[in-house]
Amino acid sequence: MHYVIVGNGVGGMEAALALRRQDGEARITLVSDEHDHFYSRTALMYVFAGQMRVRDTEPYDRGLYERLRFERVRERMAGLDPQGKSLRSEGAGTLGYDRLLLAVGSRARPAPWPGAAGSGLHYFVTLRDLEGLDREARPGLRAAVVGGGLIGVEVAEILLARGLKVTFVVRENWYFPLALDEREARMVAEHLRAHGVDVRLGVNVEEVRRGPEGALTGVRLGDAPRAPAPLAPDAAEVPCDLLVCAIGVVPNTGFLATSGLRLSKGGAIEVDEALRASAADVWAAGDCANVTWADGTRRPEQLWYTARDQGRVAAASMLGDGATYRRGTWYNSAKFFDLEYTTAGWVPVRLDWDNAPLDPGPDVNDWFQRSPGRFDSQRIVCKGERVVGFNMLGGRWNHERLLDWIDSRRTLRFVLDHLAEAQFDEELSPRWRRQPAAPST
Amino acid sequence: MQAGLMDTYRRPLQKRGAVAWVLCAALVTFYLLVYYTDAFEGPARRLGLGDKWTLYGVLYTLAMVAGGIYFLRRHGNSRYQRVRTITVVAVQVVLAFALPIVMKVLGRQEYYFSYFWPLKIEYFYPSVILQQPFLIVIYSFLGSLVAFPLVGYFLGKRFYCSWICGCGGLANTAGDPFRHLSDKSPEAWRFEKASIYTVLGIAVVTTVIVGLNWAVGRQHPSFSSFAFGVQRWYGLVVGGFFSGVLGVGLYPLMGTRVWCRFACPMAAVLGLVQKFGRFRITVKKDMCIACGNCSTYCEMGIDVRAYAMANEDVKRAACVGCGMCAHVCPRGVLRLENRPLRWKAGQPIRVYAVDL
Repeated sequence: MHYVIVGNGVGGMEAALALRRQDGEARITLVSDEHDHFYSRTALMYVFAGQMRVRDTEPYDRGLYERLRFERVRERMAGLDPQGKSLRSEGAGTLGYDRLLLAVGSRARPAPWPGAAGSGLHYFVTLRDLEGLDREARPGLRAAVVGGGLIGVEVAEILLARGLKVTFVVRENWYFPLALDEREARMVAEHLRAHGVDVRLGVNVEEVRRGPEGALTGVRLGDAPRAPAPLAPDAAEVPCDLLVCAIGVVPNTGFLATSGLRLSKGGAIEVDEALRASAADVWAAGDCANVTWADGTRRPEQLWYTARDQGRVAAASMLGDGATYRRGTWYNSAKFFDLEYTTAGWVPVRLDWDNAPLDPGPDVNDWFQRSPGRFDSQRIVCKGERVVGFNMLGGRWNHERLLDWIDSRRTLRFVLDHLAEAQFDEELSPRWRRQPAAPST
Repeated sequence: MQAGLMDTYRRPLQKRGAVAWVLCAALVTFYLLVYYTDAFEGPARRLGLGDKWTLYGVLYTLAMVAGGIYFLRRHGNSRYQRVRTITVVAVQVVLAFALPIVMKVLGRQEYYFSYFWPLKIEYFYPSVILQQPFLIVIYSFLGSLVAFPLVGYFLGKRFYCSWICGCGGLANTAGDPFRHLSDKSPEAWRFEKASIYTVLGIAVVTTVIVGLNWAVGRQHPSFSSFAFGVQRWYGLVVGGFFSGVLGVGLYPLMGTRVWCRFACPMAAVLGLVQKFGRFRITVKKDMCIACGNCSTYCEMGIDVRAYAMANEDVKRAACVGCGMCAHVCPRGVLRLENRPLRWKAGQPIRVYAVDL
């Protein structure tokens, strides 16, 4: 049996390890043109900063591939023939398989603005992106970072740390509305501004300005839909030497266009609950797979944790174990500069893509408190009496405990009485306390 | 949690660049001169410091104070790191520096209240300890044989290695810029297990031989000269060469805990106690993003990330509980704890959905 896994990220590597655990004899081939070894993409920012080397972001020792007899093909795939069970590489070679896992991940969503293509435009998703940005980001330069998500805030942090002047351009009226409410986002923006980032909210990039030689000179901004206040005329032009586009990622599935595999409108590979794609002996996992979410919608899950879990399920499914992928209760973590963020359960999105407020539905209430004078807040989402979600900023929280309370249908009163037990801050940190007369909305 | 980013690998001194080799050579030379020559006796006397050991104590303490300030500016936003650093520097200044000098000035035999057998092996040598008042003899024996195993059981070896000991104190203050240089390879781990328990065995045997010599040496002159030889060689090789020349000299190339990790007999004893004790680094289930900051900044060369990825609490004899893995973790996955058992619902996360 020859298993071929396209993609050497967390989904592909987890699948390869799971396959090898169950099948000591099979031939397992990993295909990737990015790097010889599995590395943690989430650590790219630390490599840029100099806090780690690429070598340090590789979770396994470099003998792993040889020890587990993982064959490597260091090439980019250009096509798939599911009937003939073979892949075609850009170098025009072919690679046959018995069972195929597509764990090809994402690529950066390309910058859509007029004038964007050319020098000075950067993304921050791959090792190549890292090398390019590392080469050009010199202290003293001006950078515009576009996109109010996690990659955007990470790039803003590393560029600022290197001594660039950073303007952070966010289309939404507050930072990261996919996860944060207005109060939380205001706190994050306050924190970023305190570090010296020029945060612009509710603005679109209209055009990328270039000089006579095509050199990047700046971006022109315009009002986003439903912007709270119209842009002042002198704020529309942002001069910059570097432009980092971090407006999301799209499935890296361009090479599958002619394969006959069923893809979603956004380009993700349609899979069933066993992560099987629409052709025989083809599976997909991670960022590139279109899966069913808890709310019934079908979207890719572009998260480290879900890619890891999907890789394991796909391997079990490829081995014929009848495994199915079912999304557990949501949890996630992030860090916005110095603010750590933990979320668990159901935290409804309050703002849509066009900055229109979203109604969370009947009976949904938030309990919220921010410690006075500190960047530290807790939000507990309730449906009626029952606690259904948590959004915690600044401190550290044990999501196992939070999920357990959601699972056992605890009330707000119970959770508030026990919340300090879920604290996960370093020892000797002050114990969490309910603020006197905390406002609840 | 860590505030801001570190630019460690952008600095030649911190990535084994030429300047790091120069510093290593300078430190090794300094230690060779201090331990095995009288080169510093002159300068010490001219400075009015009596002998070279007092001068060495002044320099060591100054390095820890300056390094402590550096460390607090970098990581002092965490109360654990703040309290720990202030404590270990204060112990050095008061117990390991000022008090012995005061004792000497008062005409008494000096005594270092923060050091115990087997790290300070001579505190079990009858000829040394019996010169001390009875209370200090009791302090020394109760400390080494009762208090250390007991406190180590409840708090882990960190209570000593990261809060009291001067070797750990220098590592975690002036040595902090070099902590990431520790060797993380499985080979280093294998070597560490062999070497540290070997040195512990040698320390115990040396103590027994010296003790026996005190009891029966007068009747057996040949045994007596053998015992003196053993005592002298232990002091030269383990006490001087391993703990000083290599222990500090290799900071810029192999990280800060070379002595603590590969050779310190006290760390070996406390590590065994810790293995069966309550201290562990708790791992939050399924939350690790495998970035590797924890493993990179572990000065003891523990691959913390491997545990975090496997959802396994870290319970390693080597861990000195400095807390930096938890401090640099960008997802708050790790927490140092002293608890008999994990929180009861500590199984992997069940798959369920919020039904609304």
